[in-house]
Amino acid sequence: MLIALNDIVHILYFVMVGFFAIFLIKQFFKREKKRGMVYDIVYAYVIMVFLLRLFYIK
Amino acid sequence: MKIGKIEISKIIIIVLVAILGIMASYEFLELRFYREDVVVSDSFTEEKMLSDWLPSIKNTAVDAPVYIFDSGVPGGSVLICGGIHPYEPATTLAAYVIMNNINVEKGKVFIIPRTNMSAATLGMLGNAYPKFFTIETEWGEKKIRIGDRATNPLHQWPDPFVYVNYPSGQNLAYTDIRNMNRTFPGKEDGSLTERGSYALMELTRKENIDLYIDLHEASLMYPVVSTYVAHQDAQDIAMMASMVLSASEFPMKCEVSPSNLHGLTHREVGDYSDAYAVLMETPEPFIDRVAGRMTEELMTDGIDEFIQTAAENDLIYCNYDINEGITMPSGYVVKGAPMDYRVGRHLSATREVITWMGQFDPAKEVIVTFPGFIDVMDNGSGFYLSDPEEADESKVFKN
Repeated sequence: MLIALNDIVHILYFVMVGFFAIFLIKQFFKREKKRGMVYDIVYAYVIMVFLLRLFYIK
Repeated sequence: MKIGKIEISKIIIIVLVAILGIMASYEFLELRFYREDVVVSDSFTEEKMLSDWLPSIKNTAVDAPVYIFDSGVPGGSVLICGGIHPYEPATTLAAYVIMNNINVEKGKVFIIPRTNMSAATLGMLGNAYPKFFTIETEWGEKKIRIGDRATNPLHQWPDPFVYVNYPSGQNLAYTDIRNMNRTFPGKEDGSLTERGSYALMELTRKENIDLYIDLHEASLMYPVVSTYVAHQDAQDIAMMASMVLSASEFPMKCEVSPSNLHGLTHREVGDYSDAYAVLMETPEPFIDRVAGRMTEELMTDGIDEFIQTAAENDLIYCNYDINEGITMPSGYVVKGAPMDYRVGRHLSATREVITWMGQFDPAKEVIVTFPGFIDVMDNGSGFYLSDPEEADESKVFKN
């Protein structure tokens, strides 16, 4: 039972990562504020961190 | 300028970052899936997996090979664990040298060269740590991976705010929930790392292990560097081994495991099994906080000018000199803390406690031979590793 709960929490965190990755990708392409190129670079860099975790790479 | 509704600059940025991500992915995956070919000696009898003692870790990242060398002659039994912290790689290399060369005349020896296999699948964050180091052998270079200290977060995640060790209730740092040498005696239905520790305890109890040896490396600013840390039941054994080594081969301190320091093998294995529990540390400059560039050379040569400065100001807890070197009781002059010196220390320190267990408790005698400090200082660690290409296939394993 506890092992299953551990596994569920583990998977939920990956779901959260997926949610934030999609949110950040949306923000990268469409956002109202902070629209400069520097912010694009920051968004792109942060997105990559989430994608590496989501794809089970790092 | 736009393509459709998307600015070209955004496309260029995301493509460039994606290329960097792919390059990084290659690095991460190369380390994750790399396995060393290891050769075992003629005394080898059987390979098992840690999950044979705890089925719930079967096919998980903490399941690890256990190599068994059984003489068939009744005697004691010894478990040698390397790589519970894979960023202390002299422990794994020492285990490989033992596996490759051991001759067991009496009793039974279990060897786990990578005790926390999950932690060996990723590198350490920050400081541009190298992923691998190489050693020279008679048949070419052998590449060995350097891992992290704790279980890979891909395999066990998230960490709590505070890790509460089971069953002691002692509060530890949050990352210690993934540190296998903080999760002992483990928990049958706990986190992955706790189950790994529990599997090791089950192995120890079910196989009637008499001596549990946990190989480590320490930063030179850590007080128990170059030290045996022994459970109180094993203090006579460790103390005698320490005195013999300090008189004949290299300085080796000895301390008794604090009774209120929980989660570590030298405490919990002794408390929760009948085994004598001994942990041993060598000096590893690579993991010192004050060390300079983290390079493969630092890992293999152990020469660092910042640690030298620390040594000159009495800030470290072992002998260290990169200029004149330190003259050992055995006559060797050691500059810095090179890999062969550290591997040799583990080999002789392991052999010595096995010998002294038999002296104090003849019913648990284990008679083994394998290279020691002097052999490795003379010939190098690589000399004692056979070529997997030339070895009998039944004696070669991926680890």
